[in-house]
Amino acid sequence: MKKSSNENPLWRFITSIKLAVFLLITLAITSIVGTLIPQGESLQSYLEHYGPTLFKIIRALHLNDMYHSWWYVSILGFFTLNLICCSIKRLPFTLALYRKDNLNIDPDKLFRMPFKARWEISSGLDDAKKEAIVKAFSKNAGGITGKRSLSDGTLYLSEKGKWSHWGLYGLHASIIIILIGAIIGIFYGFKGQVMLMEGGITNQAIDPQTGKPIPLGFSLKCNSFNISFYDNGAPKEYRSDLTVIDQGKEVLHKAIRVNSPMSYKGITIYQAYYQAVPRVTLKITTSNGHQKTFSLPTFKKINWPEAALSFGVLQYLPNVHGVPAARVWIDNGAGPAQAIWILKNRAREIKMGPNFYKFLLIDAQERYMTGLQIKKDPGVWVVWLGCTSLIIGFIIVFWVPHRKMWLWIGKNDGKDIVVVSGQSSKNRIQFEKDFRRIKQVLEQHVGERL
Amino acid sequence: MHKFLFQLAVFTYLLATAGFLVHIITLKKGVEKTATAFLAAGFCLHTASVVMRWIAAGHPPMVNLHESLSLFSWATVAAYLAFQWRLRVKALGAFVTPIATVIMAASSMQQKDILPLTPALKSIWLPIHASICLMADAVLLMAFCLAGMYLMQERQIKGKKLGAVFKRLPSLQTLDAMSGLCLKIGFPLLTLGIVTGSIWAEQAWGSYWSWDPKETWSLITWFVYAALLHQRLAVGWQGRRTAIMTIIGFIVLIFTFLGVSLLLPGAHTYSTWHE
Repeated sequence: MKKSSNENPLWRFITSIKLAVFLLITLAITSIVGTLIPQGESLQSYLEHYGPTLFKIIRALHLNDMYHSWWYVSILGFFTLNLICCSIKRLPFTLALYRKDNLNIDPDKLFRMPFKARWEISSGLDDAKKEAIVKAFSKNAGGITGKRSLSDGTLYLSEKGKWSHWGLYGLHASIIIILIGAIIGIFYGFKGQVMLMEGGITNQAIDPQTGKPIPLGFSLKCNSFNISFYDNGAPKEYRSDLTVIDQGKEVLHKAIRVNSPMSYKGITIYQAYYQAVPRVTLKITTSNGHQKTFSLPTFKKINWPEAALSFGVLQYLPNVHGVPAARVWIDNGAGPAQAIWILKNRAREIKMGPNFYKFLLIDAQERYMTGLQIKKDPGVWVVWLGCTSLIIGFIIVFWVPHRKMWLWIGKNDGKDIVVVSGQSSKNRIQFEKDFRRIKQVLEQHVGERL
Repeated sequence: MHKFLFQLAVFTYLLATAGFLVHIITLKKGVEKTATAFLAAGFCLHTASVVMRWIAAGHPPMVNLHESLSLFSWATVAAYLAFQWRLRVKALGAFVTPIATVIMAASSMQQKDILPLTPALKSIWLPIHASICLMADAVLLMAFCLAGMYLMQERQIKGKKLGAVFKRLPSLQTLDAMSGLCLKIGFPLLTLGIVTGSIWAEQAWGSYWSWDPKETWSLITWFVYAALLHQRLAVGWQGRRTAIMTIIGFIVLIFTFLGVSLLLPGAHTYSTWHE
């Protein structure tokens, strides 16, 4: 590419390949940081782990979420700008290359091409022989694309892959298409989570970052959740049996697994995780004459006003000395709250203030909650389009050459001459082979050695 | 059976390595042919071992470190044999074969039991994504070897010691061109590996890109090779500087392949299962 001295220095800077390389290396080096510092954790955990000084740096440079930080996104933006400007700058050169009439060439120049051969036919060429040579050339070069008659002969051109000069633009545009897809996802999509008990139903997901609900526009019901295990105890399959209810009607019924999500109205539902939720049945007898049986999940505070008692299950273990056990938190307002372990079918009595309380764990059951990832991303197909054209772009840029082959049948100093020459924009090794073959074939037709 | 075939392949690769090393020292013509024959035989045994293991496991053997290293070695030998079948680059075998053998030895030292497939790995994208990535690694390993050979040869020429090493290695021009050829195959394969990984992540986790350390390092590798290709094709760099950058690129690539899983916190666990 030519350099013009009267170019705007800013334009020269922004369109330089050196800048592109510098930005690629900068992106490579800065990206490392986010793989060393865990991303997206709570601020408190960074303070604890890195201490106050490093914490300040992490906060100032957003290293806890660096790939979305102003400076990283700026580098990406600058890189994109550089890419676009480089393409604009290159455009006139490509256009000139594309528009160039390769038939409009002086036959004398053919012999300056990288690949060439020339025969002088002392015995002369008749029309039948000429025709045979042209035919052989056409067959082996892949068709004749142009022909020009000059005063002292005829020039034939076989040109292929002229369009491949545009591959580079396609390749670079693909990267911008991918970025556009990602931006569409950020602005018009969402990500949410849903936890559903078996039999549970919901019409909203929770934004994992803000904790705010996102309306789905339909309801999702979990009919059942199943886990299966291999013999060695490793998980084999997680399956949620789901029903979509839209405007009161069951419209879709599907079992989803990891790697096998379902989609409805542009929203995709993935099997993401699960949680075991124990449900404990407790019988409580108090010394002031109350008795009642409760069925409660973990972490739920239960108020029993008649007995002036609050309690809840803090922890559940399915197997302690062969029986289920629960750790129960109790508060009756008289003195500090207490937490005790009780085992199934073994009553335990404690004294709190003036009263005694007897706890009996009658039963405990583990039920499952399925964890679903909910996603809407209208940009994802744009990203796939970009990825596809990126790969095609690579194939064109690296492997599709613009190849030109000329055949000149004319006269030089009264003698009949045949010149064949060629040029390829890339993949020289293959072209060399092809050219050698054509040369051999033409040699047979010309009937004379060089 | 697959374990026996694997051991046999290791042994045959060792013989091939010995052959290539003897050849590069003695330059006896027949030795290189024999070494190549051993390598091809080892490759057949290795292929059989992989197929048998696939059948025995009932899933693609690309899951643990033993299997990944074994297939990396397999892909390297495949790439070398294919490359040498079309373009004969002298002395390349003496560099690529020992590396393939070392990778194979490293593989044989890992836990070899077949473990059942976790839910996240049960996907058609496992064989597609893993094999494309391994092919990319193998082709870029060859670019690395050719760049290393380039630097060795260049030192000979600069030191004006046109002696034993100079005679044995190909010309600088050939080495540079062949290394560039490998980059032109390896880089699109690397890109395709990242793309297929994204498609899989989208299907399994609902996110085609989540800046997980493995993903991020694959992108870092991509940036390094992209910079290198711009230097080569647009700026017109040749020779020493591109050779050094090819070597750096490969080190980053290997870190992405092995280092991330082994060293970095919370790395690609092949599952987001929060259990």
